Amino acid sequence: MTSLSLRDRLVREAYLTRFSWAVQDHPHDHALVRDVRREVTATADQIGMRAAVAGLGHPRVLAEGYLAELGRRTPRWATGGVWAGLAVGALVYLALAYTLGTLDTLLDLGGGTLTRTTLGATTQYTATADALGVETSLSWQWLLLGAGVSAVAFALGSRAWRVWTPA
Amino acid sequence: MDDDRDPQLLKGVLPMLVLAALRQGESYGYELVTRLQDAGLTELAAGTLYPVLNRLEREGRVSSRLVASPSGPARKYYLPTEAGTTELARAQRSWLRLAATVARVLDTATPTDPDAAPAPPTDDHRRTP
Repeated sequence: MTSLSLRDRLVREAYLTRFSWAVQDHPHDHALVRDVRREVTATADQIGMRAAVAGLGHPRVLAEGYLAELGRRTPRWATGGVWAGLAVGALVYLALAYTLGTLDTLLDLGGGTLTRTTLGATTQYTATADALGVETSLSWQWLLLGAGVSAVAFALGSRAWRVWTPA
Repeated sequence: MDDDRDPQLLKGVLPMLVLAALRQGESYGYELVTRLQDAGLTELAAGTLYPVLNRLEREGRVSSRLVASPSGPARKYYLPTEAGTTELARAQRSWLRLAATVARVLDTATPTDPDAAPAPPTDDHRRTP
């Protein structure tokens, strides 16, 4: 059996990475990636890897071809996961920005300690010339907010309603 | 000869052509592409054919088997199933009927004598406010 050069492997895997992302909506996406890998490897044996990959066209167009043949639209779970991650990241960023802003204001006012209770969680901000600190506790309301925001982002990002699209 | 083909037209008949090509003998993806290209579908790419093969297999119209190759990786060979052969016969009848209808309509719609065709309205006939 002819073994592939490192360069050919890189060309093939770069293409398949883009294809696997684009075809994630397909219920058998892993099998498709495996099939395309086998086909392109076998074809490369005859015409070379670059020509074999070129024959497949753009990975997104190839993925759209497979999805079109499916005859229905399917959820994009991986995209939903990314959206949920970004939403939680945005919440964390906002909390950090608020915390740093509060500490900065405390320092500008001459330093001291401030206690605030939001959504059932009590947070103590300390900012003096010697110490800078934040102490907080978790509350079920915050957990609910985080879960709600990530769930909504996941549902929107993944187009979860497509689960109910008739086949 | 005008070789510009509407890709949508090809998309509609490609499953039938794949089944017809496979009826001539078991084949693998790339060989099927070259076989159809040699038959005149010069612009056909592997990326267009593979999704069609996948659908035909999912629908049980072609069966596949992996054949190890001494010179390279294993290849997936396809062959029409009984359902595929039946589908091919149905698609062929349907295509021939459609082609006959299209030819008839085009024949009727094509003016044989340009002078006999009704003249389009000119600006002279338009009423101005």
